[in-house]
This record gives sequence, C-alpha cells and structure tokens, in this order.
Amino acid sequence: MSDLAATTEQGPRRAARRTQHVIVFVVLGVLTLVELGVARTSGIAKPAVVTALVALAVSKAALIALFYMHLRFETRILRLTVLAPLVAPAIYGLVLIAESAARAAR
Amino acid sequence: MNVTHAHAPASWPPDAQYGAATPGKIGMWIFLVSDAFSFGGLLIAQGILRSRSPEWVQPGEPALGIPFTAALTFLLISSSFTNVMAWAAAAEGRRRAAAVLLAVTALGGLLFLVGQYVEWTTLLREGLVFGRSPRASTFFVTTGFHGLHVLVGVAYILTVLGQYVRGRATAHHVELLGLYWCFVDFVWIFVFSFVYLMP
Repeated sequence: MSDLAATTEQGPRRAARRTQHVIVFVVLGVLTLVELGVARTSGIAKPAVVTALVALAVSKAALIALFYMHLRFETRILRLTVLAPLVAPAIYGLVLIAESAARAAR
Repeated sequence: MNVTHAHAPASWPPDAQYGAATPGKIGMWIFLVSDAFSFGGLLIAQGILRSRSPEWVQPGEPALGIPFTAALTFLLISSSFTNVMAWAAAAEGRRRAAAVLLAVTALGGLLFLVGQYVEWTTLLREGLVFGRSPRASTFFVTTGFHGLHVLVGVAYILTVLGQYVRGRATAHHVELLGLYWCFVDFVWIFVFSFVYLMP
C-alpha cells in the first residue's frame, strides 16, 4: 500500500494491518527456529538441507517484502518492477555455481 | 499543519501504473534493487569459490557461531517489526509512538552492530583472518558490506527521527526509511542462510 493511501485508511483496517504485522513477526521468528533446526539436525541428506534452507530463506524474504515493505499492497506493475529483476541473480547464481562445481568435479 | 497529511491523496494524482506511489518511493525501490544485485554478486562469488574448494573450512579455522548469529537475526527481524509499527503509528498521526518506535529500531540496529563486532573479534582471535582463505575473505566482505548497510541505516533512522520530532519529516519519510531498513533485514536473511547455515 502506498503511503498516500495509508493516511486515509479507516480505523478497523489500520487495526487489521497492525495485527497482520504481528502475525508476520511471529511467523518470521518461527521460520528462523525451523532454519536452525534444519541446519543443526544431523542425518539429513545435504541436498535436502540446501533445498530446505533456500526455501525457508525465500519464504522469510517474501514475507518481509510483501508485508513489511508493503509490496503486497502496491500496484501489479510496481511489484513486477521490483521482483522480476531479482529472479536474474538467482538464475545466474544457480548456473554459475553448478558450472563451477561440475568443472571442479572433473 | 498536520504533517501526517502533508502528502494528501489529492496533492498527488495517482498514476495508472504505479498507483499512488510517489517518485521518492519508486526511486528508493530502484536503489534497493540495484543494491540487491551487489549482495547477489557477493553471495554468488562465495558459492562459486565454495563449489571449487575441496576443503572449504581450512585446518585451524573456527566454526561460525550459529546460535549467536541466530539471535542477531531475530534482533534484526524485531527491528523491522518496530520499524513497520513506527510507520503505522506515523501514518495514523500518533507522533510520540512513532518517535519511540523509531528510537527502538535504531537501538536494535546498534545492538546488531555491537553483536557483529563481538563476533568478528572472537573469530579473528580464533584464527579466521581476512586474506588467509576464501572462506575467511568472503565471510568478512559479505558480513562487512551488510554491517555497513546497518550502520548507514542507523544513521538514516536517527536523521529521520530528529527531523520527525521537529515536525520536518512526515509519515512518507518514515515509510521510505522503512523500505531501506527492511531491505537490510531482507538481505541478512540470505546472508544468514548462505554464509552461516549452508552445510
């Protein structure tokens, strides 16, 4: 939501937004604990740990961006302007690290 | 003048594509996306070096203190929470609450920096030294770059807080500040996962 719209929000909606912020805070705390649990539990296959940690990190970052940075309440174009370019480094990273690992394994 | 309404909807015609987002907000987002690329480059570099290294942790190097850093992570998440609540309070015109919450956010940032200082000095003492291994160098560069962002963020918060208390800053300024501060948290989530937690 834009700052401009925020100034005109009604009381009940403001209260609902504050409740939402608290819920997101609790979920972020719980996800951090889950991350710790995943990282410190022995016996889990490495690819599974890596996948879980990436998924947890992306989930936490998405919560911050969508709710605390208000992207969820912005227009679709603004959301795309911000989020679409962030896909590129993820793809570069995946390709470059995989290529490097493959060369090292030869 | 009611400063919380300094940017009334009527004073800024909504754009067909960007809604009521101000140029300031769009500019901040563009800066943050470009900054995200910098962090992305650092994390990718670390991933490449690590994938090519048969032994990532060199003999004699200490393990990273994950529980301590998890506590710092929670501290940063908490400061994002207080920041977003500060913005909500500012948008509602509760100026005193907004100022207090901004001060608490700045305190959270300062405590994070103190924690990072303690972590760095401990690791240096235990043998993790910049330049001695790819792990050490990427660790100090990535966490140092992030720490610099936290330091700038604390200065930014204190500046906006000072302006806000004097009535020179509005809820809009608090929201822009919030975008930057939450971005610092956003980035740390990935640093924590990739630098500290990855097996």
